[in-house]
Amino acid sequence: MNGVDLTRLRAHVGGLAASSLDAARKRALKALETDGLPSTRHEDWKYTDLADVAAISDAWLTRPHTPTATAAGDAFIDELKSAADIDWLLLRNGSIEALYAAAPEGIVTSRLSENPPPDAPTNALTALNTALIADGLVIQVDANPERPLGLLFLDDADDDRAALSQTRVDIRVAAGSAVDIVEYHASFGDSPHYSNAVLTLDLGENALARHLRVQNRGRGHSLTQRLDVALAASARFQSAAFDLGGKLTRNDLAVDLAARGAGAEFDGLYLTGEGQHMDNHTRVDHRVGPATSRQAYRGILFGRARGVWNGKAVVHEGADGTDAEQENHNLLLSEHAEIDTKPELEIYAEDVRCSHGTTVGQLDEKALFYLRSRGLSGDEARRLLVRAFAARTIEALPFSALDVHLETLLDTRLAEIKDITVSL
Amino acid sequence: MATEPEDIQNLVNQRYKHGFVTDIATESLPPGLDEDVIRAISARKDEPEFMLEWRLRAYRQWLDMQEPTWAHVDYEPIDYNAISYFAAPKSDEDRPKSLDEVDPKLLETYDKLGIPLHERARLAGVAVDAVFDSVSVATTFKDKLSEAGVIFCSFSEAVKDHPELVRKYLGSVVPQRDNFFAALNSAVFSDGSFVYIPKGVRCPMELSTYFRINAENTGQFERTLIVADEGSYVSYLEGCTAPMRDENQLHAAVVELVALEGAEIKYSTVQNWYPGDEDGNGGIYNFVTKRGDCRGRDSKISWTQVETGSAITWKYPSCILRGENSVGEFYSVAVANNRQQADTGTKMIHIGKNTRSTIVSKGISAGRAQNAYRGLVKILPQASGARNHTQCDSLLIGKTCGAHTFPYMEVKHPSAKVEHEATTSKISADQLFYCRQRGISEEDAVNMIVNGFCKEVFRELPMEFAVEAQNLLNVSLEGAVG
Amino acid sequence: MTRGLKDNTMLNIDNLHVRTGEADILKGLSLEIGAGEVHAIMGPNGSGKSTLAQAIAGHEDYDITAGRIEFDGKDIAELDPEERAREGIFLGFQYPVEIPGVNNAYLLKAALNAKRKHDGQEEIDAFEFLKLAKEKMALLGMDPQFLNRGVNEGFSGGEKKRNEILQMAVLEPRLAILDETDSGLDIDALKAVAEGVNALRSEDRAIVLVTHYQRLLDYITPDFVHVLSNGRIVHSGDKTLATELEQRGYDWVAQAAAG
Repeated sequence: MNGVDLTRLRAHVGGLAASSLDAARKRALKALETDGLPSTRHEDWKYTDLADVAAISDAWLTRPHTPTATAAGDAFIDELKSAADIDWLLLRNGSIEALYAAAPEGIVTSRLSENPPPDAPTNALTALNTALIADGLVIQVDANPERPLGLLFLDDADDDRAALSQTRVDIRVAAGSAVDIVEYHASFGDSPHYSNAVLTLDLGENALARHLRVQNRGRGHSLTQRLDVALAASARFQSAAFDLGGKLTRNDLAVDLAARGAGAEFDGLYLTGEGQHMDNHTRVDHRVGPATSRQAYRGILFGRARGVWNGKAVVHEGADGTDAEQENHNLLLSEHAEIDTKPELEIYAEDVRCSHGTTVGQLDEKALFYLRSRGLSGDEARRLLVRAFAARTIEALPFSALDVHLETLLDTRLAEIKDITVSL
Repeated sequence: MATEPEDIQNLVNQRYKHGFVTDIATESLPPGLDEDVIRAISARKDEPEFMLEWRLRAYRQWLDMQEPTWAHVDYEPIDYNAISYFAAPKSDEDRPKSLDEVDPKLLETYDKLGIPLHERARLAGVAVDAVFDSVSVATTFKDKLSEAGVIFCSFSEAVKDHPELVRKYLGSVVPQRDNFFAALNSAVFSDGSFVYIPKGVRCPMELSTYFRINAENTGQFERTLIVADEGSYVSYLEGCTAPMRDENQLHAAVVELVALEGAEIKYSTVQNWYPGDEDGNGGIYNFVTKRGDCRGRDSKISWTQVETGSAITWKYPSCILRGENSVGEFYSVAVANNRQQADTGTKMIHIGKNTRSTIVSKGISAGRAQNAYRGLVKILPQASGARNHTQCDSLLIGKTCGAHTFPYMEVKHPSAKVEHEATTSKISADQLFYCRQRGISEEDAVNMIVNGFCKEVFRELPMEFAVEAQNLLNVSLEGAVG
Repeated sequence: MTRGLKDNTMLNIDNLHVRTGEADILKGLSLEIGAGEVHAIMGPNGSGKSTLAQAIAGHEDYDITAGRIEFDGKDIAELDPEERAREGIFLGFQYPVEIPGVNNAYLLKAALNAKRKHDGQEEIDAFEFLKLAKEKMALLGMDPQFLNRGVNEGFSGGEKKRNEILQMAVLEPRLAILDETDSGLDIDALKAVAEGVNALRSEDRAIVLVTHYQRLLDYITPDFVHVLSNGRIVHSGDKTLATELEQRGYDWVAQAAAG
């Protein structure tokens, strides 16, 4: 299987502590044995090569270990705790811990193994996750929690050994409940690290989830992540995602609008620089109408960076009354940066309003000139415009709990853009 | 009163106009494909050795290749050994030198198609190289063209009379193993057109080929090669209709265009192969490879297509923008009705500096048809200053059809500007009522709205073609609205 | 109301009940309009003014559940919208729809020829049509460029309404119903529209102005003013009624009718 030795994988899964997850693990293993990890010949993986992360997985399977916590990781936790009033659950190096003293009202957590087994994996990375997880986290939201619920995915790499982490979180929001969720991915250390996170979010009738995702992992660390969102009638999902760090990052966001009146709005911003590979794949299934989906992703690429964006909206037969919009805008700031973008529509209904717009381009020359005529230097003017480009996503933040922290992060990252003066 | 989309679908119901079989005996090879068949094709066409070798090389590559499955189309596997790879009218030995000598039955066929060949040729000043069952039977206006130094002849003639040009350019845009169908075509192509416009010449007339599939069970494999030398200009029109038939027929053409420095080629197609009946029986499989190479600086290639026919369409007329400042254009209307499936679009490969491309695609889906736009815009690292604008619109008629958009954009240069926009709409009840309140019948209103939707593409077509295209569209959508 | 009280009756609406969706909008409306007359139909929002216009034009979303609409003494309930149009009924839409890519001139010529054909006249050729259209546009103070644009595509509110009047001027209907043609117009556009309407006033033509405000009636003097409330005409009078309505509001009439 594409870089991962099956014998080692089988042996490792066999050695996991017996649990109610065993049958699911076996089924996942079987799927992996048949299909393996996708190669770039697979349409969904055309621009993203998993060979490196498969090699890390294999190296880890050869010498499995759990990294120990680092001072940098501890300091970061303290920083986040003081940055905002959020009830954090910490998923660190494979173990799960609540950082809050008392369980927030309306939130009940349990282990995946205490729940009915998860559905059969629909893709290879979920299969890999299901086969290898020791356990997962299930969060039930039954009321409207006062503070945002935070999920901090933190990986410490304390030595130079290849490290692998698999995490799974299932969130269920009861009918009529509303919850704010922060999903934060961070990692520390210099060794090769690969994290594979699987999340599901089920929204009951009239439920609302506002979701903020921040990914600022170490530059040598890779992440594949999948979030499946299912919406019942009149449920709403609002999300903004910020990808700043990491080496290879692949996000799969799948939104299933299975009932009338459901709505999903999600925005994304990726700042992708030297040595980074950032791949966003979104899919929205409109199964009935009326239902609405809007997505807007913006990318800033600099250095030897590769960005991939693939947005797909599928309007199923009978889903009349669908309103779907996709947007992807990219700023290419360096000669070595590349963007591959593909907004897809598959429509099997008639009464639909679907549109997509994609652009790849540079800063507006007229705006640059205008700013310079007001006395800004060329470099200042460019940075200002890049900041303005990114600000559109910040303006779309679904809630403000982490906005100061986030703006600081963004500005730090933007300041790292070196070759912004590329001649146009 | 009937303004609901379902009603609209019933309004229009005209049988495929061009469905009939001309009764000219053909001398075909028996079905099947091996090296002997290829030798026989080559021998029958009296080809030079290099051509046979080229065909055989293509055939051997084809044997190793897989039929593509990525397109959004679905069909029963094709038995390539059940196809006869050569059919020619009996009069092959003694081909007519002018229209007067052409089999009157053939002329009758053209009449039925509404294309009075000689009339049209004389009045419109169009030279016509009519490919009838794979072999050219009539070529007119040769004298006038040769005065200008333009070569416009059947591919077979070009192989004999201009082997140096054929050798130089054949396969230089679409290599033999480019794809499964192109490889097959390279091995067995029967005939087609060849055009060479010398340096600095503006072709004195629009060149046009009408061709149709006619013999039963004969896959048709045309090969077209157009070379526009430095500073030249040519507009080429290709239109096709096909007789009604129950069995599926394979059509795998290859068209290669070469534009040298400062040259411009405008290639227009109206494609109206038999689409199959309302239930999807019969109809042509149209698996075509069309590609233009803007080889010289300041060159331009423009594709305009109106695709209304065929059971399955698989074609992506493309431009390789190699020369600095070269320009590629793609204007397309694709109609899919009943059980038709279309997967069509373009590729714009920007290699040279300051290259520009424009894509305007209008897809109309009706009945139970599936209509997909698939396009690639690729800006290579050396293509500084490249520009692309893509507009991709779908019009849906009815609740059981599909409209899909798969645009790929791969950008590797920071000074590129690439823009893609897509919209999906339907004919609204308000629009229909508005037109009807002005006294216009529902059927005319639908045609008017559809033609309005396609306007940006139609205006790229030569005038007489534009009229034909509009009519075709109306005929194709008959039975769609209602 | 009994039929044909007047000797010039063109449109006779008798006890009309119209339903759209789940709602009964017109509930026994009767109205008689004679050739050469200008009628204004006024009333508060939701009183059924637009429904009446749409029902006369034959919009299929409006079901006639009872009563009759007679045009020239013939029941038109079974006629398709295009047949009514060819008989000479014109509806100036409150919200004219955009039809992208369809040339204004093309639609207008097709409409005119459909009508001429219906009347047994020869179709007009492109040259004559252009001459006619430009004449009418000059009268309405419209830029001839207008003809080359897509039907209502990207038009401002005022342009859309002028375009409706242009179509009316070219098609020369016998019965013109103008649904809120004055809404959203600035004073210049309003005057232009009014001039267009006034130019069409003639002995053999009837005009129905559906409006919420009295403003338009400063420029087009109606012969009759009717107040529509809750699906029926509750009050009719001459032009002074419009002024009275402007001063006293609609509640007054509705109450008077109820009382």
